[in-house]
Amino acid sequence: MDDNKSQNEKISQEKTQRREASQWAVAWRRFRRNKAGIAGLFIVLFFFFIGITSPWLAPYPARSYQSLYEGEAGKAPSLKHPFGTSNTGLDVFSEVLHGALGDLYVGVGATIISVILGLIIGAIAGYSRGGLGEFLLMLSQLFYTIPILPIILIAARVFLILVAQGFGLTLIMLLLGIFGWSGIAFIARGEILRVRELDYIQASRALGASKTRIIFRHIIPNILTPVIVTATLLIAGNILTEVVISFLGFGDVNTSTWGLTIQEGYAYIRTQWWTAVFPGLATVFAVLGFNLLGDGLSDALNPRLRD
Amino acid sequence: MAGLTNYIIRRILFMIPVFLAVSILTFIITNAAGDPIALIRLSLRSAPPQVIEELKIYYHLDQPLYMRYLYWLNDIIHFNLGITIAGTPVYNIMAPWVLPTLELQIPSLILAVVIGVPLGIYSAIHQYSKRDITVTTFALFGYSMPTFWLGLMMIIIFSLYLGWLPSAGAAGITRYWWGSEFADRIAHLIMPLLVLTYVDLATFVRLMRGNMLQTLREDYILAARASGLKESTVIYKHALRNAITPIVTIVGLSFGASLGGAPGLETTFSWPGLGYLFVQAVFSLDIPLIVGITVVITLMLLVANLITDIIYGMIDPRIRLS
Repeated sequence: MDDNKSQNEKISQEKTQRREASQWAVAWRRFRRNKAGIAGLFIVLFFFFIGITSPWLAPYPARSYQSLYEGEAGKAPSLKHPFGTSNTGLDVFSEVLHGALGDLYVGVGATIISVILGLIIGAIAGYSRGGLGEFLLMLSQLFYTIPILPIILIAARVFLILVAQGFGLTLIMLLLGIFGWSGIAFIARGEILRVRELDYIQASRALGASKTRIIFRHIIPNILTPVIVTATLLIAGNILTEVVISFLGFGDVNTSTWGLTIQEGYAYIRTQWWTAVFPGLATVFAVLGFNLLGDGLSDALNPRLRD
Repeated sequence: MAGLTNYIIRRILFMIPVFLAVSILTFIITNAAGDPIALIRLSLRSAPPQVIEELKIYYHLDQPLYMRYLYWLNDIIHFNLGITIAGTPVYNIMAPWVLPTLELQIPSLILAVVIGVPLGIYSAIHQYSKRDITVTTFALFGYSMPTFWLGLMMIIIFSLYLGWLPSAGAAGITRYWWGSEFADRIAHLIMPLLVLTYVDLATFVRLMRGNMLQTLREDYILAARASGLKESTVIYKHALRNAITPIVTIVGLSFGASLGGAPGLETTFSWPGLGYLFVQAVFSLDIPLIVGITVVITLMLLVANLITDIIYGMIDPRIRLS
């Protein structure tokens, strides 16, 4: 009898807990079950860990040609140099670790800029019904259509000469951020247009809720989920673009990035495959991690798929 | 039909601001590099002062930037792309590099659609099965990989170690691969084509799978199933048409994306295309050539988008009527 009672209590307790579970707790529960998403999360955390601890973790400092003076330039992977050394004397293992910091800086930083720009532009485009909204929508379509990489390459080449090298990676980050906001803007605009006509928003407006309350309590939570997903995938895309920019030789030559290491070894690829293989693998796994995480979040946060 | 014509006209009108925006952007950025005369002097070391003066007038350097842009726009309307800093007309430099780019881009796009779409459908029908996981993993790696890096890996394996395929260029210079001239071009095309197809294909698999899964959840599919139709009829007659329509727009965007990514891939394979030429032009800061290539790439992209928009408008009546 007692047993039964406590069990009943337990069940009802669980029920109330379930009812009280917030939107985020539900999402987390769904996300936890998504193996690919969890794998992505761990890969991303792993790369953040490597990036942040690289100054202590890496056996050689960033952009150090020390192996050259040790007479070990262009050596195949060994115990001392797990990923080999480049012909110029870079320890590829150290460069891959330091590169994680550089590439995450560009990938995450550019995404933050794009998200802020995209949210502002998308929100204004969604709210104003007049010419301004039309104009901003067209601006977003424009940035969505133009070939971005060529324009970024030109800008990187020209501005790195002008503003000089001190600005380096930050310049690449700014360029990627400034040209990458259109996707976020579309989502923000679309969600605002969709949400603001919904009955419950009308209801809270009728109840006398202030504009800021409606924006912060009802509209932002709705926009947030698709924006988080898109931003995660955007980080992946930005890292890929940064690697291409550095590989082509338009990046910052004073900061370690994966693309730069590949670029330095490119001329000797015939005999020294390791300078291309390892930084490239790091890129693939980092990007893969963000893509998996983004897909997992998309599944977990999408209410239409909720069972 | 009036709706469709209107729609096409609207799409063509949209091309104008895009074209202007891209040309203004490239024009401003490249002109920020400084005095083009200083660059010309690099190739014309002992130019007499009056030649320099004449060049200044030729490039309208005595006028403000917006006037220079208007002069350039006027030239473009008359199909004149200007003269490179080395003194050759941009058109003459660029013309031979256009076809190789298309030779790579168009077949890879077609292959990507032809392979990617059925793979996506297959994957969606067998959701969460081993086959689905294999296909999605295959696609996931495709869009997580820098195109140029995959190219490098293939060059290392198939050219440098196995020696099966040529590592650079679009055609043999000293000897033909596999005997004839035609076979030689095929041999050069294989690796870049495979790399580009794989990366493009990943997008189509992913989108097709997602669309198909979403469509299969719709009520009308449930109704079709409930009315006792064969599963294959439900999938290929009812679901497919709705799921495949949005893919059409992606074809145009995907073409644009891989055209924009051409600098990386073409440089890796030393493929004599616009992307490769573009990288060299940006390195030497050859402003007229840079602007010329960017404009041509943008035009190609706009035409591709226009074609897909028209096809989309024909397939989906909702678009042309809105």
